[in-house]
Amino acid sequence: MFEANMSCKLNDSRPDWKSYALGELDADARREAEQHAASCNACQDELAGLRVTLDALATLREEEVPRRIAFVSDKVFEPKWWENFWRPPSFAAGAVVAAAILVHAFVRPPANPAMNSASIEARITAVVQEQVRADVDRRVAAEVSAAVSTAVQQAVTKAVADTEKRDDQRTVQLLAAAEQRYAETAEILNKQVSRIYAMNTGAGVR
Amino acid sequence: MIFREVEDRDLIAKARRGDVEAYNLLVSRWEKRVFNYLLRLTGHREDALDVSQETFLKAYQNLPKLDDPARFTGWLFRIAHNEAYSLLRRRRPEADLAGEPRPANTGGRMLPIELSLAVEGALKTLSEDQREAVLLKVYQGFKFEEMAEILGCPVSTVKSRLYTALDLLKNTLAPAVLRKEAVRGEHV
Repeated sequence: MFEANMSCKLNDSRPDWKSYALGELDADARREAEQHAASCNACQDELAGLRVTLDALATLREEEVPRRIAFVSDKVFEPKWWENFWRPPSFAAGAVVAAAILVHAFVRPPANPAMNSASIEARITAVVQEQVRADVDRRVAAEVSAAVSTAVQQAVTKAVADTEKRDDQRTVQLLAAAEQRYAETAEILNKQVSRIYAMNTGAGVR
Repeated sequence: MIFREVEDRDLIAKARRGDVEAYNLLVSRWEKRVFNYLLRLTGHREDALDVSQETFLKAYQNLPKLDDPARFTGWLFRIAHNEAYSLLRRRRPEADLAGEPRPANTGGRMLPIELSLAVEGALKTLSEDQREAVLLKVYQGFKFEEMAEILGCPVSTVKSRLYTALDLLKNTLAPAVLRKEAVRGEHV
């Protein structure tokens, strides 16, 4: 068998056991490799060692993401409210202003000689300003609410992560302490057994 | 797995048409895998989180350039790899000082959590190239050809890095594995 092992190591057609263990061989190559291993102790040992290593690697714990990845639809990716404010007026905003002018034209009271174009313009301006002010207030409130919500979420996530970290450290400490206690107890027991043995042996001699 | 791939492809198609929610769903599906890959590669949770964030943002911005949606996973990890190495290059002097490899636990009995810690320590003793090869193959399940695309190197280089890494890990982890086997034997 030793002869077979030596010849196997020198053989160019020796299976690639790492590829085998990592699932990279096709069905035919796998079958050939398995047939070879059935009669080769060296290859069986190599494969067993690889499997033990891969099994050990598989014990590595997968970590949870400590806090969620900010998605592209999140507030952090949105333009700030003042950026929106300074953008050119949108079609919708223009339509609202146009509608306001039309409505005003149809529902206005009978012509008042005292009302000139300047006063009409002033009223429209006041309406538009009021609308813009309301819009700004609404966006500020939404922005503040979102910021508070994000801050609270981050604080909670951090607190949870810190607690988990403390728990992990505590677990490691407890394990170490338990191991030490185990060793101390074993030592005490060994001494006691030795003492009893010595006493018994001594009694036998007497 | 096939259904999952089809769904991913569907989500990618929707995201490319501007459906943000479809992309959000893709992120939630892949964030854990990407984060864990980056965590083991960088060795820092905050760095891993920052690089994950950058990876998904860049992926979203470049989604229209993805030729074949079926290759999304490899493409995503390629971006993560580039972002991580960009960070590691910037932090190199700092990393050299702080990145002392942690030796595997060599005393006492080996419990599952301790074996996991030993594996973590053993991975840190590898070079960055070797560690990344192990992460992509053992923990992410990529084929050699896919790894070559992600890492931007020939398949022969991928295999060389991975095989050397496995030999080193086998030697580093042998004492830990033996102790675990001994503990298991005691319990049987």
